[in-house]
Formats: sequence, structure tokens, C-alpha cells
Amino acid sequence: MTNNLYTIIKKDLFDLLGRLAADNRIVVPYVKGEKLYFDDFDPKKEDKIELGGIRQSQALKSFISHAREKVTGNLKSKRPLVIAGVKGCDLSSLYLQDFVFQGGDVEDPFYSDNRKNTTIIAVDCTYAKETCFCAAMEGAPYPKKFFDISLSPIDNYFLAEAGSSKGQKIVDNFRSFFKSPSSRAVDIRQALRDRVLKQVQGFIDKRGTPDTTRVKGVVRKNYDQTEFWRDMASTCVECGACNLACPTCHCFILSDEKDASGAKRFRSWDACLYNTFARVAGNNNPRKHLYERLRNRFDKKFEFFPEVLNYVACTGCGRCIEACPGNIDIREVLKGLVSGKWSKPPHD
Amino acid sequence: MTNCLKNPYAFIDADVMKVVDESSNIKTFTLKPRESISFRAGQFMEVTLPGIGEAPFTPSSNHNSAKTLDFTIMSAGRVTKLLHQAKTGDVIGLRGPYGTQYPLDKFKQREVFIVGGGVGLAPLRALLYALFNEVGDYKKIILRYGARTSGDIIYKNEIDSWKARAGHIDIKVTCDVGDPSWNGNVGLVTTILKTEKLDIDNAVAIVCGPPIMMKFATFKLLDLGFKEGQIYLSMEKNMSCGIGKCGHCRIGPYYACKDGPVFSYDKIKELPNIWD
Repeated sequence: MTNNLYTIIKKDLFDLLGRLAADNRIVVPYVKGEKLYFDDFDPKKEDKIELGGIRQSQALKSFISHAREKVTGNLKSKRPLVIAGVKGCDLSSLYLQDFVFQGGDVEDPFYSDNRKNTTIIAVDCTYAKETCFCAAMEGAPYPKKFFDISLSPIDNYFLAEAGSSKGQKIVDNFRSFFKSPSSRAVDIRQALRDRVLKQVQGFIDKRGTPDTTRVKGVVRKNYDQTEFWRDMASTCVECGACNLACPTCHCFILSDEKDASGAKRFRSWDACLYNTFARVAGNNNPRKHLYERLRNRFDKKFEFFPEVLNYVACTGCGRCIEACPGNIDIREVLKGLVSGKWSKPPHD
Repeated sequence: MTNCLKNPYAFIDADVMKVVDESSNIKTFTLKPRESISFRAGQFMEVTLPGIGEAPFTPSSNHNSAKTLDFTIMSAGRVTKLLHQAKTGDVIGLRGPYGTQYPLDKFKQREVFIVGGGVGLAPLRALLYALFNEVGDYKKIILRYGARTSGDIIYKNEIDSWKARAGHIDIKVTCDVGDPSWNGNVGLVTTILKTEKLDIDNAVAIVCGPPIMMKFATFKLLDLGFKEGQIYLSMEKNMSCGIGKCGHCRIGPYYACKDGPVFSYDKIKELPNIWD
């Protein structure tokens, strides 16, 4: 038995979150209709909290790079964050987000501070939905890395694993909540993981979604297939929802504002589907046409990041599929690129 | 908590020392930063109107005297239109410098063939001054500059003083459209690139201007016998953060703000849509 495995019952877990709330903002997933949404932990709404399930509607970046963040003046740390229920597809995105904001010659100190002050309690997916395809994108429906503590639902308790010194410290500080696991718990965890992975793979196989090995180089190869890109973009309304919902999309815009207290600068998520994204003064725009902007999204994910980071910038979370009002399905775009056969996205 | 990590999005204040009208829509601003800034010709900076916005420009002055920096700016968009209202004594912001410089070491002992279009002469002015600093190190300096009309020619007086520099510099200026006040060549800059006594094997070319001009000037230079690796381009895209994070200025696997803006043509020629 590895020594960083423990069990914790649900009641103790909520008590632990309650205790951590003394010094941290606690965010957990709630059931709303058929979806899960992250929101602040409220012990009175415990019956609505679903730590397992599938990925939430908001991507993890909502709590780390933040949709809009003031970047003027000296860094002022936010209240430390403990976010529970994070899924494998979001954990995977941290590799890219960290590379962008913390890599290179210059670090984004605001991101780094948020990241440092975030504790991630990841939880296995307990089922998959039709839009899930993490297994095709080198991911899995359970935490593999980038977590502080992972939880796997077993019967009426969780099998917990400390994945970092930060996570281990929480276990050590609240040792009475954590018990030693039986080997049976590890077997049950494996069985759960195998079952959900099989479910994801079933959805991938049924649709014929290509995996990363087949996707390699297909965007550049089909770059000049204008008809394909025009067809894919035929129902796009340039809302940018795919960008904003995506856990790996990192692009941002700096904007300046002024009020009585002076000038302020904000870093806000931007979307490469917007007409203004690459536009420069004098109305010159390297991507005038909508199809060029849609193509750019795929070029960035499936050519740029594989080249600079050896990382396919899609985690298979399926949020963009759900978010798109034009029914543009990233899986169908990839299928079209790989097979050379495609049809326009369906109208509702 | 405050953090000693430098805020890469913060600008430093700079006083506007002088404003020169270059043409009907181009002005040169001389700025004196309140903290020292050191840049190399070809690098760019973000010029900020505090609380309003910022835009990327390459300083057009000599990098050896950076107590003040010149920025030659065309009024072309929201920020530049407002920048044009700046007067001597105003305070604006500067952030940077960012990106790559002109590789002067690679230009040494060579003939340096400079091709500019419109306000694209601004970074090339910084390059010229950098070359003049060590003028003996370069075999020859050749400048070919095209403006839309004679009224659009920037640095008019300076161009004459450059011409007066003995022996070392060969300058030709053309206007796309002629007018009665213009006695020089009429035609695009590509029509004045063919040059007698140019030792192309031992030359480098540097091009800066509007995308369409850069495209055809590059093709013309290739026609004349320049190799792809001998041509340096200033790829000015929508550089915003300046540190390779915001994603706006991507060219294939590169960001213009970090891997550029100066690229040799062989590095980018296979990439899609570089001239758009």
C-alpha cells in the first residue's frame, strides 16, 4: 500500500472543508439541472453538492487566470482558494496554462500568485457524457497529476491520495479525518476508473472521434482547404463561447480604464473568433474572414502547441461542443480533417 | 501582500519633450522616461495613454542615446488618434522594450540594403542611427524609401542630412503618386531596388513597411539575387502583452512580440498568411 493513500468519509470531508474555510475560499460543484457548476461552499446546500459526476460547466481557468483580473500596481493576494471536485480534463489544462503564464522569460505574477494560493482537490469522474472524449486526447476521466489531493468515491467514503506536499500537509494537519485504506479500496478505485474510461472510449468509438496520433499535422495539411473551413464556420456566430469555455484557451486582452482613483489595467480573456482579435490599426486584419478565425483556433490547438510544447491543446472536455450555438462540434471538425469527408454543422 | 516580482503589465511614466509633425497624419514624439530604459534598434515598446490604452511602436531614435526616445506614430486607430493629441509637457507611459533587435553583428563588413515604406521608415531610422554609430564597420549603407505622395515622406530634413554623409550612404526616395512639387522617382519602392555595384553575395537586406509593400519588396529582392536568409523583415502584428502570453501576434509557431518582430525571411517563409 502506498503511504499517501487514505480514506475519508463524506461527513468528515465536509467537516474538513468547513475547517479549511477559516482561511480559504472554498469552491465546490453543485448540481443545477443536468449540469454541474462551481460555486462557493455552503454547508446548508450539502445535498446539492456533487463532488463526483463529470466536469463542471466552468473551466478551472475561471478560478486561476480569471475571466477579468486587475493587473495594475502591486500584487495583492486574494484569499487562498480550495477548489474541490476538479476533473482530469481540467487538471491536464494546467500544464498549458502554467507554461503560458509562468514559462518564458517573464512570469505573470498575478497568475502565479493565484496558482500558488490554489489547492486542488480533484475527484474521479463517476460517469461520462456523450460529449466527453478525454481518452482520445491523451487524458483520462480521473486525476493523473497536477492535484494536491485526489478523491475517488468508494461505497460511502472516498479513497484519498495526496498528490503534492501541499496536499500532504492538509492530510497531516487534519489527520483524524483520514484513515488507512484497505487494499479493497484501491481495487474498487481501479474498477471505477476502468468503468468510466470504458464509457468514454465507447463514446469516442461510436462517433469515430480521432485520437491525437491521427490528428497530428492535419490542420496544416488542410490549411488551404478553404471550402472545408468555410463549411465548418457556416453556422458560427462569432460569440467566442468555444474560447471562453475551453480550459486550455489562454488568450487575453489588456484593457485600460480610468476612474476617480486613477488609471487601471485589466487582463481579460479574449477570443480568437472575434473579428478584432488580430486586427491592427488602420483596419488591417490578417484574419478578415470568419473561416480564417475558426481555422486559427484549430491551428493553435493542434499545430502550435504540439510544436512548441509537445501538447495537444484540447483536453476532450467537450465544453465547446455544449457551448456552441452553431452546433460546431470539435470532434466532427477533427473527423473531417482526418477523413477528408465532412458535412456542415447542423442547424437546430 | 506585495510581491517583489516585477509587474510585466506596468508602464513607466515618460514626459513628452517634443512633438514634430512629419506629415498630415504622422508625428514624431520625443519622450523622456522617468526611469532608465535601454533598447536595441528593432525592438519595440508599448506606448500607453494611462487609463485609455496602449499600442506597440518601435523607437525611431538612436539606441546609444536612450535618455530620450523618439516614436514616430501614424494616426491610424483609437489609441494613435488620441496619442496625436499629446503635447509637450504631457505624461504618457512606456512598457518594454520587447522582442528581437536587428542582428548588427551579422551586418558587419557587409553592404546593408535598407528598404522602407511609409511610416515603416521609423524602425529603420533607429537602424540607420545604429549603423552610423559604427559606420566604419559596414561596407556600404543603402536606403530605398517609398512614400505614397511627397507629403507622406517622413524625416524630410534628416534624409537630406543623411545624404550628406560622405561616401557611406546611398539614398533613393520614390513616391507612389507624383505631384508638381515632387522631382524624384514616381513608382512603388520595388521600382528603385535594382542597384548598380551592389555586392549581393556580401549584402543583407532589411525591409519594413506595410504588409503588401514588404511582400513585394521581398519578392523583388529575391529576384535580384538575395538569399532568403539575407532578408530581415519587421513583422509588426497585433502585439499586446509583449511577453508571448496574450496570443494576439502569433505567426505559425512564433509570437512576433517575443520571437520577432525582426525575423529573417527563411525562418518564416513557409508559414501561412505571413503577408496578411
